[in-house]
Amino acid sequence: MPKVTINDRTVEVEKGATLVDAALKVGIQIPHYCYHPRLSVVGQCRMCLVDIWDRGRKMPKLQAACSMKVENDNWVVRTDTPEVQEAQKGMMEFFLINHPLDCPICDQAGECGLQDYSFKHGVAFSRFRFEDKRTYPGRERIPLGSNVILNMNRCIQCTRCVRFTQEISQTAELGFFNRGARAEIGTFPGKPLENHLSTCVVDICPVGALTSTRFRFAERVFYLDKKPSICTGCEVGCNVTMEHRRGKIKRYKPRFNPEVNDYWMCDYGRSTFERYEKLPRLAAVRVRPEATGNGGFYGGWKEALDLVHRRLREVDTSSVAILGSAFLTTEEAYLLNKLANALGTPHRSVPVDLGPTWTIPNLKGGIAGKEQAPNRRGAELVGLTPGEVRQGGALLDATALLKGDAAAQADVVIVSDSDFSEAAHNPQVVERLRRAKLLIVFGWCDSPLAKAADIALPVSTHAEKDGTFVNVEWRLQHFGSAFPAPGQTRPLVDVLVDLLARYDASWSKLTTGQVFDRLAGEHPAFAGLSWDDIPAVGVTLNVPQARAAVDAATASAVQEI
Amino acid sequence: MFEPVLTQNVGNPDALTLKGYKKAGGYEALAKAVKMEPDAIIEEVKKSGLRGRGGAGFSAGLKWSFIPKDKKPKYLVCNADESEPGTFKDRLLMEYDPHQLIEGCAICCWAVQANTCYIYIRGEYTKSAEILERALKEAYEGGILGKSMMGSGFELNMYVHRGAGAYICGEETGMLESLEGKRGQPRVKPPFPAVVGAFGAPTVINNVETLCNVPHIITRGADWFKGIGTDERNTGPKLYAISGHVERPGTYEHPIGITFREMLEKAGGMYKGGNLKAFIPGGASAPILLADQIDIKMDFDTVAKAGSMLGSAAVIVMDDTTCMVRSVARLAKFFNHESCGQCTPCREGTNWMELILKRIEHGEGTEADGEKLLSICQHIAGNSLCALGDAAVGPVKSLVERFLPEIEQHIRERQCPFPHRRYFG
Amino acid sequence: MSVSEPVVQKDQVNAPPLPADVKAQITELRTRYPKSEAVLLPALHLAQLAWGGWLPDEAIAAVAAELDLPVSKVYGVVTFYDLYHQNPVGRHRIRVCTNLSCQLRGSEEIMEVLHQELGVGEEEVTPDGRCSYVHFECLGSCDTAPMMMVDETYHENLTPQRVRQVLQGLK
Repeated sequence: MPKVTINDRTVEVEKGATLVDAALKVGIQIPHYCYHPRLSVVGQCRMCLVDIWDRGRKMPKLQAACSMKVENDNWVVRTDTPEVQEAQKGMMEFFLINHPLDCPICDQAGECGLQDYSFKHGVAFSRFRFEDKRTYPGRERIPLGSNVILNMNRCIQCTRCVRFTQEISQTAELGFFNRGARAEIGTFPGKPLENHLSTCVVDICPVGALTSTRFRFAERVFYLDKKPSICTGCEVGCNVTMEHRRGKIKRYKPRFNPEVNDYWMCDYGRSTFERYEKLPRLAAVRVRPEATGNGGFYGGWKEALDLVHRRLREVDTSSVAILGSAFLTTEEAYLLNKLANALGTPHRSVPVDLGPTWTIPNLKGGIAGKEQAPNRRGAELVGLTPGEVRQGGALLDATALLKGDAAAQADVVIVSDSDFSEAAHNPQVVERLRRAKLLIVFGWCDSPLAKAADIALPVSTHAEKDGTFVNVEWRLQHFGSAFPAPGQTRPLVDVLVDLLARYDASWSKLTTGQVFDRLAGEHPAFAGLSWDDIPAVGVTLNVPQARAAVDAATASAVQEI
Repeated sequence: MFEPVLTQNVGNPDALTLKGYKKAGGYEALAKAVKMEPDAIIEEVKKSGLRGRGGAGFSAGLKWSFIPKDKKPKYLVCNADESEPGTFKDRLLMEYDPHQLIEGCAICCWAVQANTCYIYIRGEYTKSAEILERALKEAYEGGILGKSMMGSGFELNMYVHRGAGAYICGEETGMLESLEGKRGQPRVKPPFPAVVGAFGAPTVINNVETLCNVPHIITRGADWFKGIGTDERNTGPKLYAISGHVERPGTYEHPIGITFREMLEKAGGMYKGGNLKAFIPGGASAPILLADQIDIKMDFDTVAKAGSMLGSAAVIVMDDTTCMVRSVARLAKFFNHESCGQCTPCREGTNWMELILKRIEHGEGTEADGEKLLSICQHIAGNSLCALGDAAVGPVKSLVERFLPEIEQHIRERQCPFPHRRYFG
Repeated sequence: MSVSEPVVQKDQVNAPPLPADVKAQITELRTRYPKSEAVLLPALHLAQLAWGGWLPDEAIAAVAAELDLPVSKVYGVVTFYDLYHQNPVGRHRIRVCTNLSCQLRGSEEIMEVLHQELGVGEEEVTPDGRCSYVHFECLGSCDTAPMMMVDETYHENLTPQRVRQVLQGLK
């Protein structure tokens, strides 16, 4: 593999690697705007100019590092010579002369390429004092589609967005129009920017020219705390960063994972956190007086779980149905399965929700998710039966409960609707489940189902707990809580561990990590894994389907080369 | 006495037809070339010292030798975009001797083994395009082009491709992008067109005048060609397109290296007997030369040494009624208009330079403007993606370096000291 | 499914079919290039002629549909080049070169004459739809400066009188 020396640091790189990537490998950031590792190289912003010595002879002109590919050991590169610094100052000046001073009202402030490189590589004063800035009248707040707004005055013509729609989403809504200083980004009338990846152009725009309609004026980015997490929109499990402030999530941004979603995520996934603010929260333990069997309920979690334990002991446990959801984390599903074992009931299932297929492009040919929830596979691996997948499943399985009359035959139905399911808001489903003699609901939302329940127990949203999901390619990914659950709410793992402790004391006070380590010991798919060692990009589980999927993905990747 | 070479058929309308062209000695060179080895032709052209006549002055033979032997397909693109202000020589060649160009292209295609040639002609040259189309039709009918070029078995197709009005499409990779049906935005080099050119295939791009020299080199030999001109690095006949304040503007063929004084005399001297103030030797991108450089030899190396460039040999003459600031402001406006907008220094820099020069011309200049212009020039030159940035810098830099007193006068007097000249009463 | 499903706007590009003769010419031109995208510039010239000298959105959409190219790409090409017009032009389109060599021989006065004779400003169309004029960059006729291009013809060695003569001949 060829070697290149950058600012006296030598690094070995893949043949054909660009200098920008090579420099990053040794901790040197060459400033750039138009370059993106997944987009074609155009070398047009001219911010990445560096000095290169080829076999000892300095190249007469500065070269754009993004377009220089390392093929051999001949190059020595410097990014700190006076010529390079002068060029950087010159480029920054050129970017700013026609750029509006919008920082006070621009969403991008705090994560803006012009601000950052100005500070690092530019000059602190303007020489553009007697001329008028070039503007695009009437193009200061143009919705390009339903998710993206364009302010053409702020654009630095890097064409990342145009190349994204042409090469990544392959929908080609955006084009580069006109020529020279009047060049602009836009759409053709009648073909707006509408594709499921449209908000990604906001992520890759270095400045505030493209902003997200949902996030517009929502929050200053420097007040946001950032927590890595996994999206719950579908079974792809895109890696996201939850950006939140004071217990409210303000934005999801995709997090780089070359094995799953690469740099991207879909628009639907970005909207999945909004439900936590929009829908009413189940704030406290709620028990109907009839459920206690002896008058009113006065108590908290201990009393509630004691009540649940007592009522479960009173019935023939083969008529207890546990209905989970594909939004459960693997640990929560595992504990529900253990609960079902402790009760001795065979009825433990998850419904399978199919929706539109979202495909996220990556270097392995893309990853597609059709199920609308993140962890049906994880739940299935630890013992819950999928409702739609298997015919002739357990009598009181998810399909029967949600679509049929099965609940009427159950003495107790326990619904653990961990994150969100449309079913909990569907009056027909609520009415069917209500026919059970005792309806216990674990949930974060005060949904119609929770309102109809005999015992409603408030648990965390996805942002308030730790856990793991197994995605469509059988990849295990973990995430942590961004902020603590409010009020009486507790993570479902803690609640189930408490409940199980009443059957078997060894469960008492276990953490999510400990629960995971237990389940890893019991299920061969998770063999060898421990909570502390799960890699950041996740790990493919040792399941025959997983192996076939990985082989197929490798085969298609090889074909692409 | 120098006998015209490239313009020998100008004034002979018969030469527009295939029959007339052949009668005047045409297509003998091609007949000779198909019997030669392709490499031998490349060697002969290299030996002749023919340098590109489009502006860059790169050795044509050397460029042809970069084409890999083992790849297919290969292309020749003839650069007939001719949009450099002051240049009109290619138009003369195409309108009066189209077959000379066709023959030159055919020989080049044989030499690099390219089966397809596109003549990329600027969209405004409708008349030239029509004349070329007619000549091509005759060439096909006469067996010069087609499935078997002159009976050699080598298939050669030649097409006219009209541009649509963009100076940047004269830049070789901008031309390739435009040929491929896209915006004429230059590409990052490397890879160079000889490796990845039109439609991803190795491509030679040469100017019209360069290719028109080729038949003559083949018939009369490289040594004859080298005998014309200043020295072995500046050889052959050259078309000079002279315009502006001269009595008889037009295209003149001289041996390369004629002095500007001689050229001016042959063009009738200064317009209405005016006094020479300055002249541009090679099109809008060339730095301006002063009147006292009137004896300069107009070849590539001498002009380069004098701080300018021969470029396309488009000579623009200015007398002392000319306001240099107004002239350079017009050129700055041209470059701003023609910038493709891809790269930051050219897109923003040419815009800024036009604004500053307009301000100075309208009497609103400030003292720091000259220095500012030089600083902008320094930031553009060498940093832009293609040569248009460097071209835009040429006239502006020379204005500030050589005509600073004029700029200062504009600023001091808060107006342009040169009245607008009336040419028509 | 989601509480905040975005409203997806549908693709509503109006792409009428190309006139038959234009389509036939484009089909013939396609044989000259290894990729059909390359026929875009000639196709736009032909479409522009068919649509009266300029390219409304529907013409652009029609060409894009014929060549199977995204409309945004075709629109990008149309707006890049000076010879493609996106706004209506007069029956006769006048382009006056005002670059340096012509400026040095009185092109500004020619522009004044046009303004006087036609009564409209640059880029505007005369009320009877007859003419529109613009200043243009170097047209490669510097030895016959000042000059102008009317439709596809060069008119060279202009004087104010010549300009008026040319204008009179335009219907």
